[in-house]
Amino acid sequence: MQKAERRINYKRRRSIREFLYILPFLILVALFSYFPLYGWIYAFHDYQPPFPISSETFVGFKWFNFIISNPTRVKDILRVLRNTFAMSGISLLFSWFPMIFAVFLNEIRCKPYRKFVQTATTLPNFISWVLVFSIAFNVFSSTGAVNVVLQDLGLISKPIAFLKSSDHVWFRMWLWLTWKNAGWAAIMYLAAIAGIDEQMIEAAKVDGATRMQIIWKITIPSILPTFFVIVMLNIASFLNNGMEQYYVFQNAFNKEYIEVLDLYVYNIATSGTGNYPLSTAISILKSVVSVALLAGANGISKLIRGEGFI
Amino acid sequence: MKRFLSVLLTLALLLGMVSVSAVAEGQEPLTVVVYDAAANFHGIQPGWFGKVVKDRFNIVLDIVAPQVAGQEIYATRAEDGYLGDIILVDKSDFPNLVKTGLVREITDKLPECENIMKFKDQIDHYNKGLTGEDGKYYGIPTEMTDTSPTTLTDNVIYSSPMLRWDLYDAVGKPEIKDLEGLLDVLEEIHKIHPTNEAGDPAYPFSLWPDWDNNDDMSGPANVVQLTTWYGEKPKRSAILKPDGTFAKIYDRDSAYYKIAKFLNHANQRGLVDPDSGTQNWDKAVSKMSALQVDVMWYSWQTGFTNVGENLPAGKTFIYIPVGDQSYYADADAYYGTARMFGVGSKVEGEKYDRIMEFLDWYASPEGLTFQHVGIEGLNYTKNEDGTFTRLHDDALANNLPVPEDYVGEDGVVGYNDGNNQINQWIAGASCINANNGERFASKFWSSTIEKELETDKAKREWQQTFDATDPVDYMKKHNLLNASPSVGFAPPEDSNEIKALRAQINTELCTYTWQAIFAETDEEFEALWDKMIEQLEGFEYEKLYENDVAVYTQEVELKKAALGE
Repeated sequence: MQKAERRINYKRRRSIREFLYILPFLILVALFSYFPLYGWIYAFHDYQPPFPISSETFVGFKWFNFIISNPTRVKDILRVLRNTFAMSGISLLFSWFPMIFAVFLNEIRCKPYRKFVQTATTLPNFISWVLVFSIAFNVFSSTGAVNVVLQDLGLISKPIAFLKSSDHVWFRMWLWLTWKNAGWAAIMYLAAIAGIDEQMIEAAKVDGATRMQIIWKITIPSILPTFFVIVMLNIASFLNNGMEQYYVFQNAFNKEYIEVLDLYVYNIATSGTGNYPLSTAISILKSVVSVALLAGANGISKLIRGEGFI
Repeated sequence: MKRFLSVLLTLALLLGMVSVSAVAEGQEPLTVVVYDAAANFHGIQPGWFGKVVKDRFNIVLDIVAPQVAGQEIYATRAEDGYLGDIILVDKSDFPNLVKTGLVREITDKLPECENIMKFKDQIDHYNKGLTGEDGKYYGIPTEMTDTSPTTLTDNVIYSSPMLRWDLYDAVGKPEIKDLEGLLDVLEEIHKIHPTNEAGDPAYPFSLWPDWDNNDDMSGPANVVQLTTWYGEKPKRSAILKPDGTFAKIYDRDSAYYKIAKFLNHANQRGLVDPDSGTQNWDKAVSKMSALQVDVMWYSWQTGFTNVGENLPAGKTFIYIPVGDQSYYADADAYYGTARMFGVGSKVEGEKYDRIMEFLDWYASPEGLTFQHVGIEGLNYTKNEDGTFTRLHDDALANNLPVPEDYVGEDGVVGYNDGNNQINQWIAGASCINANNGERFASKFWSSTIEKELETDKAKREWQQTFDATDPVDYMKKHNLLNASPSVGFAPPEDSNEIKALRAQINTELCTYTWQAIFAETDEEFEALWDKMIEQLEGFEYEKLYENDVAVYTQEVELKKAALGE
């Protein structure tokens, strides 16, 4: 009897101890993931600084109605969602690009050259978007390098307005993103490639495998798990494709295609004197879409793998 | 040797103590937080102006700038109950700060401030409107003038068509009947001036989008300002006609449409810089300075070109009359401009006294000379009769080093780096300097005017051609000027709903106006304009328009009263 009681005591103490192990992480999650949800109350109030929110400012779902009740505004939000999905989708579709880049980089035999390529492609990752835009302006404006060269060659008579053009905005934004990120994203894959067992590759060489065959049969299959982890992470941040890039590149001519959800929220919150309730309401909408996406991905996972991840 | 060293050390110590006590004499060092909606600088006031304030008041100005730190800082600091010690905000925000108790009453100390109380009439006018009571003070208006609500002191109005004189002369000084005539002339000018001297392409127009929707404007700033050429003044989503009635800004008989169309025709003729829609303000300025533009429309733009070598060469910009135009201009800002000074509610006791003392100095002849003119020996010299003569026009532009006595502890030497970062004044530059009887702005000094006629070739020839002393004189002679009186009106802050409507409508207005300006043909222009109207109406333009008309009708009534109509 006593023995059993002692065992229960021991068990309880152990569970408390184990709980204490994870407590810091629970606190962190509560602090940084759940506590900010408190900010959602601004979407249900008519909040106007410097006046604090109170029971008098409560307006219920007014701001949600404001969005939904007007067809033009709904269309506007659908347009923004379309852009967000398109640009995230393109990134997702091309997420194999850094992997292939890393594989090819790894195949370069001349070491100094390889180091040079890797450094040159990684550096843009550390340049802010504002600077990227000033580079873009100097290269692509009407008096920029590209137009000057094309005009000197006699290929065009009038400068081409690259930055003003609304054609292929999504693809061009992906190109800038890739220019900035590819080298950095390749680092993970390079690490994964370094982890491949040398013996396997040597054995393949002995068996007479060509370089392409080694890449195709050994390198890529070995780094596929890394690839899938990264794709999963990308899906998780599908709606968070950031706004800095689009903010610096946006203008009246490409706005139709460049405005993503984050940028839209920013534009509404800060244009003029700022409207906090409406932009909070729209960002709640973003969470709703995220949950829908998650449920969708989970459903697909259930269908394919037989189990979901929630 | 040792004894010598110890004597030296003792001496050094003593000297150190003396110099420390000289700074701290009387008053403890004090850091004053300035919440400053006008500042483009965030942090401790550096350089020469910092030293001037430190030497006189032992005050260090710590500037909090929402324009740098982000507008959110307003909400968070207000939530905290402390915006700053000195508060400079938009006029429309000020009543809310009084209601929430973030700004303190200054009735007890303000009447003792002699320099500020030179503007008693204006200060009473504002505070009575705020509280409904006489003699109760909270706010001090900014950039007030000592003239009258209906005077127009300036000799150039804020926006008018200005051409480069030597080029206009070179194409034969043709008489211009209307906007199409203006484009004809600009086309001729573009032909003889396709690049500047350095060989960079020059275009008559180089626009920039950075300022769109700022300062209570709806639409691209470059379009909005130009409507005043036809006497119409946009009041946000509405446009005020010369007869005091309002129309929708997008109406096809409004000046807004007329100007958009004008810029579009300019573009169709190849007269608009193709980078206009994408370049930023800095880039646009560098083009103005490098003489890569042939037309200007803001009076201050000439500051980039009408200087130095350009003056005797006549490469300067000046107003050229266009036959069918008659202009809208704001009279002197007698009752102040769009912002308001106040003192934070947490300021008490000695700190309060010292802040009021500082503010009074800020409006004193000495303070205003520092703000509007600069440093004696660098920016001006004193003549025998006390008036000033301008020196180093380029002190600001080239960030010239200040005299040694003006270098503070932070070691900042550049004039521009150490310039007054509060960036807003209590009294405007057209006020009279009580110390010498001339206005603070150097363009009104007798010494400047004398020199100007010697060096400014364009001005001399312009005067002969148009038989007037300056543009305003010409406009007055030909009865082309409608100077709208100063009434100190500030629209109340928008409700959140109006804000939401405005945010989207302004964005749409800008987007489509820019696209229309760059349309290839008239048909495309009209199609875009139709699409714009459809979008605007979809975003409930009607509601916004009604709101704005109701708000600005009050202002129109006040203006009518001021004119005694």
